[in-house]
Amino acid sequence: MSASAEPVRILLADDHALVRRGVRLILEHEPDLAVVAEAGDGAEAVAAVREAQAAGAPIDVAVLDIAMPTMTGLQAARELARRGDPPRMLMLSMHDHEQYFFQALRLGASGYVLKSVADQDLVAAVRAVMRGEAFVYPGAMGALARDYLDRLRRGASVPESVLTPREDEVLKLIAEGLSSKEIAVTLTISVRTVERHRENILGRLGMRDRTQLTRYAIRAGLIEP
Amino acid sequence: MGHSLPLYWRVCLINGGVFVLGLLALVVTPATVSSEVLPSEVAVLVVGLLAMLGLNAVLLRRSLAPIDRVVAQMATVRLPGSEQRLAEGAPGPGGRLVGTYNAMIDRLERERSDGNVRAISAQEAERERIARELHDEIGQQLTVVLLGLSRAVEKAPPALATELADLRDSARSGLDDVRRVARRLRPGVLDDLGLTTALASLASEVGERGGPRVERAVGAGLPDLAPEAELVVYRVAQEALTNVLRHAAARSVRLSLTRRAEVVVLEVRDDGCGFDVDAATREGAGMLGMRDRALLVGGTLRVASDRSGTTVRLEVPVP
Repeated sequence: MSASAEPVRILLADDHALVRRGVRLILEHEPDLAVVAEAGDGAEAVAAVREAQAAGAPIDVAVLDIAMPTMTGLQAARELARRGDPPRMLMLSMHDHEQYFFQALRLGASGYVLKSVADQDLVAAVRAVMRGEAFVYPGAMGALARDYLDRLRRGASVPESVLTPREDEVLKLIAEGLSSKEIAVTLTISVRTVERHRENILGRLGMRDRTQLTRYAIRAGLIEP
Repeated sequence: MGHSLPLYWRVCLINGGVFVLGLLALVVTPATVSSEVLPSEVAVLVVGLLAMLGLNAVLLRRSLAPIDRVVAQMATVRLPGSEQRLAEGAPGPGGRLVGTYNAMIDRLERERSDGNVRAISAQEAERERIARELHDEIGQQLTVVLLGLSRAVEKAPPALATELADLRDSARSGLDDVRRVARRLRPGVLDDLGLTTALASLASEVGERGGPRVERAVGAGLPDLAPEAELVVYRVAQEALTNVLRHAAARSVRLSLTRRAEVVVLEVRDDGCGFDVDAATREGAGMLGMRDRALLVGGTLRVASDRSGTTVRLEVPVP
């Protein structure tokens, strides 16, 4: 509601200055997003969040690169989550690996964006976490879908499923590891529609926010508790 | 004393002994040979000669037969393999040869695996360095290029935009390639998220690649292993699961990591079709690689396989 008036205040942490600059330009292309602080490692990021909080202008979203010297993005996320009133956190990473995503969730982050698709996904991810949702990175979606279908097959308890036939089709293709683009081609629908199905599936399986997702991932053994 | 007598002297002794016996027979018995040899004397001489030859043959055979066994074995021996040892027979020069031969094979085998161990750790160190550089240097640079091109696409006039979009897409796939190569070189998950998580991700990769479901059982309160030991556990699990995927046609796999007294035990058990462990050890680099990796951290590897499945069991001592 207030998004039009007050831009989202973002902290950007990456040890590579040029990457930071690139990401900043992507984010600031959107009028409602503003990068208000930058950090070169995890420790600087934690300090910057604290400073902003003390100055009465808290950070809304912290975008943290995972691989940083001194203190990694994951360590910084844990540190920030431990303090009162942490910002929402998004991990930025080179690793295409769902374990990083689940680990990031466990440490308090709400989403995970792969660097190779940062130009497409980052803005959407910031908006999703501002809505209080988790931004589920596609690789992790595959792991969740596989686990869900596996449970269904074994007759184990699963979240009450009310997927439409179309969503069911999309879920199966996600589980097979197809990308949104490939799914769009297979089902002759647009990529945007596939993305919307993805969102809906997460919502219907009760995995839309970080807490639910983390709980599910732990129960499913996708991460260690 | 017979143990230390050299082969040459032993042969002389046996021959000499037989000649002495023949001589004694001539001296002690009333046998004589006339200047005109009689047929009966010829018969006695022939019998005596045959007895001497026979005795000599029997005695020499006992001493020398193991030499032929060793020669035959040496012609076909291939490292490694425990079945290459010869049974140590009777004492004597032949027996000693067998003993020395076995010791030599042991030593060669040890040297081979020492060499492999060194090669493996050098290789891992090099892989780590390359993976890190790929990630930190080339990966970051490509990210900068990708993000820059991505913005340029939006600002460029339509004629240029398509061209730039193509460039952006190849920067993206270049970045994907860098990531994939780096990941294959070195499991970043292991360094960043620890052994338990890295094993979980190996297990889920099996499912991703169309393999059977992997049930995981990782004991709580496992002791911290040294980074090298964790890497060994990880690589052995990786190799074992890859084998399951490739050959076993298994319906289920169980991967467990538990502590037993002073060792941490990794076990990968499948219900697949099994394979000939000895043949695989002789022919495949994978089986040997696992064994040598285990040696690298003072651990042991055992592989048991039959028609009803395969179990790979690695024990690593707790520091």
